[in-house]
Amino acid sequence: MSEALATAPVIFEVRKLTKRFRGLTALSDVTFQVSPGEILGLIGPNGAGKTTLISLISGTLLPTSGEIFFEGQRIDGLPAYKRARLGIGRTFQVMKPFPGLSVLENVTIGALFGATEGQERKRARAREKARELLEFTGLSRHTDHRADALGGPDRKRLEFAKALALHPKLLLLDEVMAGLNHVEVDEVVELIRKIRGRGVTILVIEHVMKAIRNLSDRLLVIHHGQQIAQGPVAQVLKDPQVVEAYLGKRRQ
Amino acid sequence: MTLFGQILANGILLGGLYGLMALGMGLVWGVLNIVNLAHGAFIMLGGYATYFLFTHTGLDPFLALPITMVGMFCFGYLLQKFVLNLIVRSALLNTLLITFGFDVVFVYMAQLLFSADFRTINPTYSGSSLDLLGVTIPYSTAGAFLVALLLAGALYLFLDQTRTGRAIRATAQNLTAARLYGVNPRRIYSLTFGVGAALAGAAGGLYGVVSQITPYIGITLTAKSFVIAILGGLDKPLGVIVGGLVLGIAEAMTDLYLGSTFKDIISFGLLVVILVARPAQLVGRA
Amino acid sequence: MKRQLRYGGLAAAVVALAVVPFIVSDSLVQFGINALLVAVLAQGWNVIGGFSGYPSFGNSVFYGLGSYGTAIAMAQFQLPFWLALLLGAVIGTIAAFVFGVPILRLRGPYFAIATLGLSAVMGAVVANVPIAGKNIGLILPLFKGDRLFYELSLGLLVLATGIVFWLSRSRFGAGLVAIREDEDAAQVMGINTTLYKVLAFAIAAFLSAVAGGIHAYWITYVDPAGSFEGSLNVRMVIMTLFGGPGTVFGPVIGALVLSAVSEVLASKVSTVASLFYGFVIVLAVIFMPKGLLDVIQGVRTSGVRYFGANMRRFRL
Repeated sequence: MSEALATAPVIFEVRKLTKRFRGLTALSDVTFQVSPGEILGLIGPNGAGKTTLISLISGTLLPTSGEIFFEGQRIDGLPAYKRARLGIGRTFQVMKPFPGLSVLENVTIGALFGATEGQERKRARAREKARELLEFTGLSRHTDHRADALGGPDRKRLEFAKALALHPKLLLLDEVMAGLNHVEVDEVVELIRKIRGRGVTILVIEHVMKAIRNLSDRLLVIHHGQQIAQGPVAQVLKDPQVVEAYLGKRRQ
Repeated sequence: MTLFGQILANGILLGGLYGLMALGMGLVWGVLNIVNLAHGAFIMLGGYATYFLFTHTGLDPFLALPITMVGMFCFGYLLQKFVLNLIVRSALLNTLLITFGFDVVFVYMAQLLFSADFRTINPTYSGSSLDLLGVTIPYSTAGAFLVALLLAGALYLFLDQTRTGRAIRATAQNLTAARLYGVNPRRIYSLTFGVGAALAGAAGGLYGVVSQITPYIGITLTAKSFVIAILGGLDKPLGVIVGGLVLGIAEAMTDLYLGSTFKDIISFGLLVVILVARPAQLVGRA
Repeated sequence: MKRQLRYGGLAAAVVALAVVPFIVSDSLVQFGINALLVAVLAQGWNVIGGFSGYPSFGNSVFYGLGSYGTAIAMAQFQLPFWLALLLGAVIGTIAAFVFGVPILRLRGPYFAIATLGLSAVMGAVVANVPIAGKNIGLILPLFKGDRLFYELSLGLLVLATGIVFWLSRSRFGAGLVAIREDEDAAQVMGINTTLYKVLAFAIAAFLSAVAGGIHAYWITYVDPAGSFEGSLNVRMVIMTLFGGPGTVFGPVIGALVLSAVSEVLASKVSTVASLFYGFVIVLAVIFMPKGLLDVIQGVRTSGVRYFGANMRRFRL
């Protein structure tokens, strides 16, 4: 196993992860570790490869080379559904609700499948768990509405609720705050903190700088598929390479 | 060697005609995302139209083609405008079903009106052939082959060089964006379907010269058009002609070496094998 | 209380249907057998097409394999019917696994076309196999007892509907629906989509195969053209869509209604019968794109405006 940062326990690790698409290198040699209960912020200009990284971790994409470890087990060859069963949950940047189903049913599916430990195999109990999650994420009034009838911010909350229903140990959030106003952003930040309080490790991709600065324990910066900085928030944001690559003109 | 050469030549010539048959289906599929299960019926109707023009006015089938094509274009245009445009945005399965419904109706209408008798178009030169490098090439088949290539080329130029053609291609790529550029999608859809029908009609007319027409030829031809369209990349005319040639040659070779029972299976077998072996390139389209 | 009423009503309906062959004419019993069997096919399709969203146009393959499996077992090996039927069902189900794994990787229309291709090929292949009687087919031993076949078919339909009912309530069924709505999201949520799809296909195949076996014994022969008849596919699809895909009773209602209407028309004007299906399909797709059950619900909530709303959604 890795000896760097050996003092802190590691729940999740990525080593020299590379993804190439027919001549285009989306990600190259990304390497980092995450401790349990940590919030790692993932930032970088658009198209830098952040969503690709999330997709590689969740299993939607398979790496060209490199390794991924979760709880000490190598997972880069596993299909997506197995990784969900192990406890990795993700939200999609371009949201993917189950359109014809109600909001409740959407979240119920997550509760039925998802991490093996938290699974409810009976639909009725899963539905109960789903209701709780709708409360937790503030979607109760939409319980029986069709998922595709929801507006933008509510869709984001639904993505959240679905990911949480999986009972994840590692949660991958892909731009959950895009398009939200100040108040909504603060609500989501609170929500994420609450989730971390339950012991979940979180990887957040975000462009809303204020949020990610307050939320993250550490930051990882990706630019042109390469990792250009990693470390405590203040240190990373002062790094000249980061400043140059990423002019952070997002909403403050 | 001469037998092989003969069979190969037959395969190539027929393959050109196959390609023409598939042009319309590929175009409609690629642009409108409609898999037209009645495509073979259009071919059949075009065949009957050409046949009756020949028997009632003595008009040579090759000369009758433009008339058939115009007629089929109108037919397809109206069908799209008044019926298909109504459901074009619903699930793909629905377009499959509605075109299947059309097919059922057209085939039985044809059966009622024209009876199940075999019809062939026999212009004076239909028996004659020319001798090329020891291979016998019937004039009609050669003519059909040339017309097929001609129409494919015309379609290619139409899509590539004309304003309407480019509007069609734009609509295929991105309907919303095309709208923003002032394209009227309803007209474009109706036009495209009309063109597809016209091409099918032409193929039918030619088919009537080289083979026989009955109300039931449609199903097999629809299936073959599927395979060829997929092979050729849907709305790429030149690719589709190549796809047609591939199928024509494959059929000829299968007939020669494995017998005629397998000849019919080969198109389907090829289809299943292609779909399963190259899903990555196709999945994106769905 | 309401639930017990519903179950009571259902049981009564089944009993009523079971009693039918004892009080009506023979030709009506025969119509009944056909209608019940096609309803089973519709339910089978409902599992793979309605619930899972994979529209198969080739379930006739499994129907044919079930027919032939039963026929070969009885005609060539003199096995008793129940064993032969089991054999036919097993063959059909295994075929679903064998073909399903490669074909289910395809999405949408490509899957549909691949299944079409499969159904076309299978008939031709079987026509070349000696033990299957090649082009001529096989003759099965005669059993006179339409009533028994009727009850058997009814039993199969009850089983099929029961399976679909279980799907609507179970975790497995929820997984299938998730696959239909968004397969990528379903995978990320922990659903083993490949396994689920293949299982759904196998269930559809099993039901279709048993239906085929019963039909074969009833009409006492199998032949390539009849057993692998292509129009079966469209009938089961249109009946399910007509009645309501993804519902428990939609396919049954669709099958029985359409069979009845088609039968009535056929007795009046024979050529029209075939035209009938064509027109029904066209009109149904335009006016009822989500099936009859949805229409009933929709009209209840929003009246005639239901049709307008649908048409506005789907037209260009």
